[in-house]
Amino acid sequence: MEADTVVHNSIVRQPGPGMSARAMHDINVIGSLQLLSACGQAPTIRAIVIRGSAGIYGAEPHAPQFFGEEMTRLFPLRTRFQRDVAEIENYFETYSRRHPDITCTMLRYQPAIGPSLATQITRYLSQPACPTYLGFDPRIQLVHEDDALDSLVAAIRRPVRGAVNVAARGTIGLARMIRMAHRPLLPIAGPLFGPIVGAGRRVGLDSYSDDFRRLLRYGRGVDIGRLEGELGHRPRYSTVEAVRQWAAA
Amino acid sequence: MSEPGALAFMRRLREGLDSGLELPEALGRGAVALPGEARDTLEHVLRRLEGDNEDDEWGFDEDFADLVEPFFGFLYDRWWRVKVEGAHRVPAHGRVLLVSNHAGILPWDATMISVALLREHPLPRHPRFLVLNWAFDLPWISAFIRKVGGVVASPYNALRLLEQDHLVAVFPEGVKGTGKPFAERYRLQRFGRGGFVEIALRAGAPIVPVAVVGSEEIYPKLGDLPAVARALGAPFFPVTPTFPWLGPLGAVPLPSKWRIEFCEPIATAHYGPDAASDRGLVLELTDQVRETVQQAVYANLVRRGAAFV
Repeated sequence: MEADTVVHNSIVRQPGPGMSARAMHDINVIGSLQLLSACGQAPTIRAIVIRGSAGIYGAEPHAPQFFGEEMTRLFPLRTRFQRDVAEIENYFETYSRRHPDITCTMLRYQPAIGPSLATQITRYLSQPACPTYLGFDPRIQLVHEDDALDSLVAAIRRPVRGAVNVAARGTIGLARMIRMAHRPLLPIAGPLFGPIVGAGRRVGLDSYSDDFRRLLRYGRGVDIGRLEGELGHRPRYSTVEAVRQWAAA
Repeated sequence: MSEPGALAFMRRLREGLDSGLELPEALGRGAVALPGEARDTLEHVLRRLEGDNEDDEWGFDEDFADLVEPFFGFLYDRWWRVKVEGAHRVPAHGRVLLVSNHAGILPWDATMISVALLREHPLPRHPRFLVLNWAFDLPWISAFIRKVGGVVASPYNALRLLEQDHLVAVFPEGVKGTGKPFAERYRLQRFGRGGFVEIALRAGAPIVPVAVVGSEEIYPKLGDLPAVARALGAPFFPVTPTFPWLGPLGAVPLPSKWRIEFCEPIATAHYGPDAASDRGLVLELTDQVRETVQQAVYANLVRRGAAFV
């Protein structure tokens, strides 16, 4: 049997324990490059789907509330992960232009949440207390694990060219999300946030990437018109429902 | 809430802050000086700041907006004695773009337009505001603005809100309007490059010009400290007769007399969405709106008479 679709599902979103930023860069960028060049040698491939990240948009105080797919260049790329994702997207775009017979789909995922997942956001909400930036209540948008999977399936069944945002409908305030997870808020003044969560990491608590810190401060939403219209997947869970379901599980 | 009550409240709030309390706690202490009704409201607000709530995808929380309304209502009725004309001209349904002049450093004019519509319109609804970007980098203020219906001043936000059939208010003068010196009061600044007209055309939303008179006198800006502004990352750092001399008390606006006039709507739907790329039409409409607001400002200035009594 010959393969006609390749799904790249192993972009690392957060360095695990003992993984350096360099190693993460190697896996994400160099790994994707090698995968793409391998695809070039397989003549039966008709579609490539990459599970990328909405982290490419960053988290910005002055951002539009909902990023459309064309808005990747509104703000500078501030974190290492953002630059890595942008690099992968650039290669992928070039690759797509050079191979017009292959449909290249870049799925930009918001952070996923669900009872069977261990992601940065679920680890964050499972801590004894959730650190937040004092005085900030950003709008957070997630995607439920079922919708995350179904979107991937939809992209395989009906490949479309270019980037597609994947997220749940609507947003939720960070404080409300933490309350729904039955955790106390731990507001920390902006300048002290880095040192305090850094100290937490040294005593064995979860570490926070720069991207995640910016998300906790400014939040991020994406527009899912393309997901619903072109991929034809209407998310079953809103962000609030996804959090509620996770908290109940 | 009587004026001595308000002063006592501000004094106690100041004392609380000076003795190192967090803002919410200091507000709680200060509330002791307020009459019962206002105290209840304030306590309710503080509870809800921590409590659970329903909001939409923009973070607008209608319950919260209703809760803080009495405070703005007090400013509207007693402090600025706002007179409103033409609220019925604002369409009751569907997408509408309100375009207003802007003055007075803090966006009090936006809140008064909101109260005016809620009080005077036959079918009231909460308007959404495009708020100067740097406010969203500030603690508390950013969270508060979102809850009462403010969004980042981005054309994408304005378009999406209009497509969802909201009532959207914009202040095209932006920081040029709020930061102008007292001597230039009521002379409208440039209306950007007409971005708001492009958005109205693309969404097919009628434009309602709004003239606000009174907002220019609440903080007579005498000078500017650019070095301080740079250090704070603010667009400007005003010097008024009370600010920064009186500290936080300097942020109490002066009780000028206000008038708000909603002018005849300008229809845009018949041009079609493609007209948004017609520079000539966009500039022409921009000028028309700006001229309408300017004339209405002059007319209401005459009708208002003396600024403070």
